[in-house]
Amino acid sequence: MKTTDISLTATTGRAIGTGPSRRVRTEGQVPGVVYGLESEAVAVTVPWPDLRRALSTDAGQNALIELDIDGSTYLSIVTELQRHPVRRDVIHVDFLRIDPDKPLSVDVPIVLSGRSEALEHRKGMVDQIMYTLTVLARPGGIPNQIEGDISGLEIGTSLTVGDLPLPDGVTTPIDTDEPVAMGSPTRSTVIMQQEEARAARIASGEATEEDLAAAAGGGDAD
Amino acid sequence: MLMPRKVKHRKQHRGRMTGQAKGGTEVTFGDWGIQALEPGWITARQIEAARVAMTRHVKRGGKVWINIFPDKPVTQKPAETRMGSGKGNPERWVAVVKPGRILFEMAYPDPVLAKAALNRAIQKLPIKARIVAREEGF
Repeated sequence: MKTTDISLTATTGRAIGTGPSRRVRTEGQVPGVVYGLESEAVAVTVPWPDLRRALSTDAGQNALIELDIDGSTYLSIVTELQRHPVRRDVIHVDFLRIDPDKPLSVDVPIVLSGRSEALEHRKGMVDQIMYTLTVLARPGGIPNQIEGDISGLEIGTSLTVGDLPLPDGVTTPIDTDEPVAMGSPTRSTVIMQQEEARAARIASGEATEEDLAAAAGGGDAD
Repeated sequence: MLMPRKVKHRKQHRGRMTGQAKGGTEVTFGDWGIQALEPGWITARQIEAARVAMTRHVKRGGKVWINIFPDKPVTQKPAETRMGSGKGNPERWVAVVKPGRILFEMAYPDPVLAKAALNRAIQKLPIKARIVAREEGF
């Protein structure tokens, strides 16, 4: 059964080390390694344009790739992509051989959708805490992204992992109470509320301006 | 201003800043970040000035993370002092930064305002830097 349309040809027999790897990169190739399914790790090179094309689909880095190594094909997935810290180009890639019938663990991006009117009305903001979710799924059923609906979010409430709709056959080992996004007041709202409370206390005669200034102890609000 | 609470040794050697940053090169907390493109020492004052500049620009909204910490003491001899008599006194604290390091991160719903705020922060830094986004494209 064919599970993917993306194929990539990898060349074996590259020399290991910094110098040979740099030479490979100047020729438009990316050095990499293939491992998994209890087989030996193999050092390979893949053409950069083909790798870029393979990882530019909707599935992103979780794309299933038919890797052709010396005439034999393996179903694989990219597990790690090393990038240059400044130039941001890919300097090394790790491929994991996978069994199409066994579930595997992958990180899927979380995309927040919807608008929370309650949050906008009270001048709050959405604070996203989790950007990817680790899921267990069969290779054919890995979702491209998981959508989290934030339209019901209010200040002080949160969207948790349990609220995320997971497709059939997809589970997550992450605790369902872990927050994904929280509704929080902006700093300007907090400062405005503090100033209103302060003015109310002075107006009611509960405290004088000097008392409150002494209690606050000065400091920079920025 | 940021500075260590206590240190094991009051004075340090200057050191070298060769190569690229080994870690802290990805935006991990916010949506946008400032990435160093040159090596350099960022003083605690410069970090604070950059933080204030970006916080004021977004009118205290959003969220700001400072990913670097000035933990290196820099010494200076007093003016018009003859050479000798040992190393000078610790005068300021700096963070050692190498190219690729994410210095600050910001989460703010409006990308235009967020970028403008980060640009103001870059003006306060002694090195070349750029704005980077969380998502990685090819």
